[in-house]
Amino acid sequence: MQVYLPIAEISVDVFLLLGLGTFVGFLSGMFGVGGGFLMTPLLFFIGIPPAVAVSTQANQIVASSASGALAHWKRKTLDLKMGLLLLAGGSIGSILGVQLFAYLRSLGQIDLFISLSYVGFLGVIGGLMFLESVRAILQRRSGGKGVGGNRRKRGWIDRLPFKMRFPQSGLYISVIPPLAIGLLVGTLAAIMGVGGGFVMVPAMIYILRMPTNVVVGTSLFQILFVTALTTVLQAGQNQTVDVVLAMLLIVGGVIGAQFGARAGRHIKAEELRALLAFMVVAVCLKLGWDLVVTPADLFEVLAQDGSAH
Amino acid sequence: MIGALLLSLLVQGQPTLLANEPPSIVAALTHETVEIREDFSGQELVLYGATRGLTIQDEIVVVLRGPGQDLRVMEKQRTFGIWVNSAPLEFEDIPSYYAIATSLPLEDIATAESLAGSGIGLPATLAIRAAPTAARADRDIRPYLDAIARAGRRDDLYAEAQRGVEILDGGLFRASISLPPLTPVGNYVAEVYLFRDGRAVASRSASLRVEKAGLERFVFQFAHTAPWLYGLFCVVLAVLAGYIAYLAFNRR
Repeated sequence: MQVYLPIAEISVDVFLLLGLGTFVGFLSGMFGVGGGFLMTPLLFFIGIPPAVAVSTQANQIVASSASGALAHWKRKTLDLKMGLLLLAGGSIGSILGVQLFAYLRSLGQIDLFISLSYVGFLGVIGGLMFLESVRAILQRRSGGKGVGGNRRKRGWIDRLPFKMRFPQSGLYISVIPPLAIGLLVGTLAAIMGVGGGFVMVPAMIYILRMPTNVVVGTSLFQILFVTALTTVLQAGQNQTVDVVLAMLLIVGGVIGAQFGARAGRHIKAEELRALLAFMVVAVCLKLGWDLVVTPADLFEVLAQDGSAH
Repeated sequence: MIGALLLSLLVQGQPTLLANEPPSIVAALTHETVEIREDFSGQELVLYGATRGLTIQDEIVVVLRGPGQDLRVMEKQRTFGIWVNSAPLEFEDIPSYYAIATSLPLEDIATAESLAGSGIGLPATLAIRAAPTAARADRDIRPYLDAIARAGRRDDLYAEAQRGVEILDGGLFRASISLPPLTPVGNYVAEVYLFRDGRAVASRSASLRVEKAGLERFVFQFAHTAPWLYGLFCVVLAVLAGYIAYLAFNRR
């Protein structure tokens, strides 16, 4: 059954979109990742204009982070003060990112920029995940214990000014690192359509040294509000949010995430993590290949507003 | 509709096949508006027409032209190993849709010069519309025009149907034209030409409007007339969906 997407202005199969949403939702439920970094490139591959894919994906993440953030809010496993600080940085990043997005779109370079960003990020993340899971599998095979326990001192982070107390996390640190992390994540939300949890969670654990029980809730809280802001900005400034596409992805994603979470409890994590890493690297290579291979048509026809013809 | 056409011909007089009579033509489309709804995946249009003074050597050419749009065409160049859009040229008022249906292959109906002069056919139309760009460009614009034609054909927005016009008895004819899934919205013009000895001796035009309807129209207009409110609406809808998911799956 075909559906005509009003903003993307193409006709796509409903079940393909629901299926993609369910598939990525399943993975995100299983691994606890947002899935935006997989969904956006998949949308490129089925022909959604990259600018619309990125903006609409931000809208989808609003829904997936909302249910997660609510659950953590109820359980009080989020550091509101830290979340607000990350959100402040994220808002600035989102505003800057959307301006950059609009500027590159007016130059006709937005598609290339999005692809390049994805190749870079997916390459780094996929590579790290792959190494991590290979190491974990090897360790389990050799019966060794996890590394852990080598918490070094924060060093330069402790020397930064503007310190603030975060009772929930038991931290007394400068506001600069959280603001900077938030800023980076907000920019990623605007130009790549990802929540940025895959950057923020490790940064919160290894740079800010936050206790792990509040990390996920706090990051979901920040992602919820940053992606909401990004959605409004993209819709207002670039008119690239497709609500029909977003809703189909949300419905698929919600269902997939429930099955994924259930499946994740019964399956060996390391092998699956290696599989996810493999997929991330595969998507990265495909995007990278498309940038390098001689295109079928050496000319590109763009509508004057910057979207593809 | 065919009845009305026949009537109009009868009012003008009995159709005769005398070559010395001034030729004339009437035409109408099966649709005056085409609505793009959520399930739109293209549509077939039929144009019916009738002629007076049609001789055996005469041929019919039907052109359906979509609204003009401004385009930027960029040439990809390899920079540091990757292909980057560069060397942009801007074009104004290029037809977003152009379909031509003929009773014989176009090149057998008239010479390229004659078509170029009357602006019939895609190459001629593009050349005329691109004249301002050609005047200010510092390089050959032909590769760019070819790229526009290729892009249009890829999306079935530019189409040519040789023998797409069927000449029936009594000076009647029928042309079928298909609108693809990517059909742009706006005002379309259908032009019908009667060719004799390589020249258009009579012509007639009809109009067609393509518009979004139903949910498509609502969402598109909402997103473009009140974009900020639309953005808020998208967020509210997503939060609501997330909340429902939370209620359904997380409550113990």
